[in-house]
Amino acid sequence: MNRESLRETLSAVMDNEADELELRRVLAAGGEPELQATWSRYQIARAAMHGEYFAPGLNIAAGVSAALAEEPAPSRSGVGAPLWRGIGRVAIAASVTVAVLAGVRFYNQDALDGAQMAQQSAQPAATASSAAPIAQGPAVLASYNPSGEATLAVPVDHEAQLTAEDQRLLDYVRQHARQAGSGAESTLPHARAASLENR
Amino acid sequence: MRFIPCLLAGALLSPLAQGAESQNWLLRLQEAEQRQEFQGVFVYERNGSFSSHEIHRQVREGQVREHIQQLDGVFHESLRTNGQLECMTGPRYEQIMENQADGLRRVQPRTLAQWYDIRTAGQSRVAGRETVVLSLRPRDQHRYGFELYLDRETALPLKSLLLNEHGQPLERFQYVVFEPVEQPKLQAGQACRPVTNREVRSLEEQAWRSEWLPAGFSLTRIVEQRTVREDAPVAWLVYGDGLARFSVFLEPWREGLSIDQRSQLGPTAAVSRRLATDQGDLLVTVIGEIPLGTAERVALSIRSGSGVMLQ
Repeated sequence: MNRESLRETLSAVMDNEADELELRRVLAAGGEPELQATWSRYQIARAAMHGEYFAPGLNIAAGVSAALAEEPAPSRSGVGAPLWRGIGRVAIAASVTVAVLAGVRFYNQDALDGAQMAQQSAQPAATASSAAPIAQGPAVLASYNPSGEATLAVPVDHEAQLTAEDQRLLDYVRQHARQAGSGAESTLPHARAASLENR
Repeated sequence: MRFIPCLLAGALLSPLAQGAESQNWLLRLQEAEQRQEFQGVFVYERNGSFSSHEIHRQVREGQVREHIQQLDGVFHESLRTNGQLECMTGPRYEQIMENQADGLRRVQPRTLAQWYDIRTAGQSRVAGRETVVLSLRPRDQHRYGFELYLDRETALPLKSLLLNEHGQPLERFQYVVFEPVEQPKLQAGQACRPVTNREVRSLEEQAWRSEWLPAGFSLTRIVEQRTVREDAPVAWLVYGDGLARFSVFLEPWREGLSIDQRSQLGPTAAVSRRLATDQGDLLVTVIGEIPLGTAERVALSIRSGSGVMLQ
């Protein structure tokens, strides 16, 4: 399968005209790292477009939590369509991995607070393990292993500095947010801008 | 068969009346934004951030002044006049002065209704006050929906949710205290550093264009500035549909820039990609409160128009 047809399929995906299986066929046929990478990026865009999970961005931890929280409970009974369930689970796990690998490391104190909040709300009983990830340095973001099929344990360096690339993007996000509102709702953009100021 | 027109009229009347009522609320909201003085405390929440802020808004001789101060975490304040930053805590910042027509452009609710299904969705209470809930559902997948909780007395939004296509909130803006008072005290502190005017080169409207735009989005700004960090030229385009906005930044490609980058900060999508043009390679960055797929598609559609070079 050549690059052009891959792109066509990808654009069909973006227009909601292709299904998951078609995409998987393309991926299987491709196999090259570059094609895989392109697919991964579009997978993020597609997932975001479908609102399936909040793409990585500034708060990977919360994104991961959200993705995991939204995952339907795996069925162990084997009744119904186990194949589909399996695909769904792997697909979600893959999207989470991509989120972490391709995510921009926009960490700041603020984002960490949010991450802890999200984790706590998702797992109120697990406060002991998520209480002090900053003090403990690299922390495990998420770990999910319901039946030994899909595992995710990604160490993340909370003290990671912004790269020049991330800083450039953040500058633009701020500039976008700080411009005057469009008139219909003037305070909301200012609130948005204000939430970007603390680092 | 005489009952059929009656039925039709009956079926049509209620949505029409609905539309008229909700559009009326939007008109009141737009007017209130220009006239109403108040003070209050609001919270803003998005993926990864939750903060509370104190706000004072004063209207004198048609000038709307708004002071916002963060109440938790790092101290931060900002003062705006007619939407333009006057001063702000933090590193020195330059901004581009708006044209009056640009920043304060008003969009008729009727126009907005072409892109959003606008309805009154019920009543609620926010900050101890009675509100009317307006739902603005997007008519296509290229923008997000809004839910606005408008104060019955002043028509200002006391709560605003940005919703993705599944109705899940991407951000929440909500007052916990709201007082429509006259002459609220408004004062910026010592730490509020004056914002200076940034030099820009004006560009023709056709200098850059997007081959594809979501319906209803139009260009509201196009300028060329220089980046503070590298002193490199950057064209800045802003598009809006009257409610949602996105920015497009174009700069010459240089070593060290990423080829493809995507991220999502709460409601804000950011997409960067390398673009080959006859003037050499550029980096296109699309940032806005639009779905990531929409931002991606816009980034893919940017073309150089009237042969203008970035200088």
